[in-house]
Amino acid sequence: MAGTRVTNRIRTLRFHRGEMTQQALADAIGVTRQTVNAIEGGKYSPSLEVAFRIARVFEVPIDQVFGFDEDGDATGG
Amino acid sequence: MNASFEEKSTWIQLVGTTLVLGGYFVVAGRMLAAGVRELPAFVPLFVVAVVVLVALLVAGHVVAAVTGRTDSGDERDRLIGWRAEARSSWLLGVGVLAAITALVLDVDRVWVAHLLLLALFLSELLRFVLQVVSYRRGF
Repeated sequence: MAGTRVTNRIRTLRFHRGEMTQQALADAIGVTRQTVNAIEGGKYSPSLEVAFRIARVFEVPIDQVFGFDEDGDATGG
Repeated sequence: MNASFEEKSTWIQLVGTTLVLGGYFVVAGRMLAAGVRELPAFVPLFVVAVVVLVALLVAGHVVAAVTGRTDSGDERDRLIGWRAEARSSWLLGVGVLAAITALVLDVDRVWVAHLLLLALFLSELLRFVLQVVSYRRGF
């Protein structure tokens, strides 16, 4: 599978927000649920704007949502 | 199907274009093989193909809209579309250059017309395939 080296903790952060659904997050940041799913699964690196929107939804700094993995493992935390 | 409306739309266009224009080229190929060289003889077949293609696309999109969400495309859809177009448009360019060469060589216009149509068909087909691959595999 093609992937991205941008790692993310979206699954964990959704869990800590009362098991927030992908659809709810998608609606909050203005993308489709499939795009949230692709970001979460490491299949797509979002734009900086969408990354900031995600961080804002979870009320954390952006580097607590996204990281960069030299080894190419996309799904962290 | 776990797909956005835009991805479903791409699948519908891929299947519709393959079936209808593929069918057109099968029939037109047989006509050419049978010695038909008059371009107007292909017009009714082409018109039918376009009408059927439009009807299929409309029906497919209606079904997709009724059976699922109709979210408008987002940045991922646009990026997938741009990438696929950038990597498929060369095929149309090659076809146009081949058609110009054919005109210079005074090739029968029925071949030139079908060369252009084939180039358009193949570049669109490649675009849809690249889009579907990007949707499924990620990038």
